[in-house]
Amino acid sequence: MKWIREHKLISCLLALLLALILIFVLSAGNQKNNTVTGSVHKAMSYVSRPFTAVTRTVRDTVSGIFSYRSLQKQVEQLTAEKEDLQRQLAQASLKKSELEELRELSALLNYDYTEENFEVVTADVTSFDGSNWTNIFTIDRGTEAGIRAGNVVISGDGLIGKVSQAGEGWAKVVSIIDDGNKVSFMLARDKKLLGIVEGNQQAKITGYMMKGNAAVVEGDIIITSGMGTYPAGLEIGTIKTVTYNSDTLLKEITVEPATDFRSLKKVSVIL
Amino acid sequence: MKHWKIGLLFLAAFLIQPSLLNLISIHGYTPNLILCLTILTTFLYEREMFGVIYGTAFGILYDIMYSNVVGPMPISLLLVALGIVIIREYTNIENIINLWAVSIGSILAYYFLNWGLHHLAGNPVGFRFVFNSVPWIGLYSLAVITLLYWLMFRLPARRAKYRYNRYIR
Repeated sequence: MKWIREHKLISCLLALLLALILIFVLSAGNQKNNTVTGSVHKAMSYVSRPFTAVTRTVRDTVSGIFSYRSLQKQVEQLTAEKEDLQRQLAQASLKKSELEELRELSALLNYDYTEENFEVVTADVTSFDGSNWTNIFTIDRGTEAGIRAGNVVISGDGLIGKVSQAGEGWAKVVSIIDDGNKVSFMLARDKKLLGIVEGNQQAKITGYMMKGNAAVVEGDIIITSGMGTYPAGLEIGTIKTVTYNSDTLLKEITVEPATDFRSLKKVSVIL
Repeated sequence: MKHWKIGLLFLAAFLIQPSLLNLISIHGYTPNLILCLTILTTFLYEREMFGVIYGTAFGILYDIMYSNVVGPMPISLLLVALGIVIIREYTNIENIINLWAVSIGSILAYYFLNWGLHHLAGNPVGFRFVFNSVPWIGLYSLAVITLLYWLMFRLPARRAKYRYNRYIR
C-alpha cells in the first residue's frame, strides 16, 4: 500500500492496463454484443452517419467525373444485359406454367415439398474498419429489422460474410476472409464438384477440391453449396490459381472474391 | 494545448478514420490517425499524459465499433504511449529526427502488439501479411505526424513571444 501511495501515477497506469487486459480476455472469450457496447455502437452510429454521407457524396461525385468513359461502357454493357434478361424472362414465364403443373402433380402424389424462402433486409454501409488489414464494416439496420448475429450478408456481386454482432439500428459484418470459418462450395458449371474455402493468413480466399481428380480450371466460378450456414447458390468468387498438392493428393485453389469489400455501399442480410 | 482541444482532435480522428480517410487511401492503405495523435501528443506534452488518456479511451471506442474483440487497440496504444513517456526523457522534442525515430519505433511496436493480441483472440490474419503493409501505413502515418507536428508545435512556437510559451497554450 505504501508503494502504491508513493507511486500513484504508475499504480493508476498499471490498474488501467490490468483492466484492459481483463476486458480483452472477457471480450475474446465471449464475442457477443452486450448492453455497454450496444449503447456505444448505437450512439456512435448516429454521430458517424453524417461523415459517411459526406464521404459517399464526395466519392460518387469525384469518381463520376474521372470515370466517365468506364461509366459509358457500363451503360452499354447494362443495356445488352437488360435485353438478354428480357429474353430470359420470356422463357421463364413459359417454364413457370410447367412448374405449376409439377407442383399440382406433387400435391397429388403427397410429395413433401419444401421451398427455401428467405426474407431479406437491405441496409446501407455506414462505416468501414480502418485497420487496413481486416474487412469489418457496420450497417445501419439491426435487431429492429430482425437482424441477429450469424445472419448471412450478400451484395449484388455475391457472398460477403456474416453478421458478428447486432443491436438496435446497427450491425457489424465480418467478411468471409476474416470470419475464420470454412465455407463449402461447388462449381457453378458442374455442381457435383465440391470443395472447401476459407480466409488464409494473407487475407485471401484459399481452399481445396474434395476430389483430387476434380476437373477444375482457372476462371471457374464457385458458389456456396448449401452445406453449413450459407444458403446454396451464392457466388463466392472466381478461381485464380489451381495447384496439385502431391502430399494431400488434392487440388488447391486460390479465389478472387466476387465482391470488392472496400467499395460496398448497400448490402442485403438474409434473415 | 488545452485538454479539450486535444480531445476534439482525437474525436475528429475517430470519426474521420473509417469514413473520409478512405477517400485519400493510397493502394488501399490509410494512416492510423488515432495512433498518430497518440504518438505526437505523448511526445509533445509530458506532464498531462494526453496521449495515454485519449489514446486509450478512443482505442476502446474504436475496438467496440470496428473490431470483433475489445482490447487490442487500447492495450497497444497504452503500451506504446508509456514507451514514449520513458523515451522522451532522453530526447530533445524540438528535433524532428527524434520524433521520426520515436514514431517509427512506436508504429512498429503498435502493429506488432495489435497483431499479437488479435492473433491470440483467433484472428486468422498472418504476421507476414500485416508487416508487408506496415511500411506503407508507416510512411503515410509518418507524413501525417510530421504535418501535425508542424501545425501543433512549430507554428505556435514561431508565433509565441517566448519559445517556452508553447507549453501553456
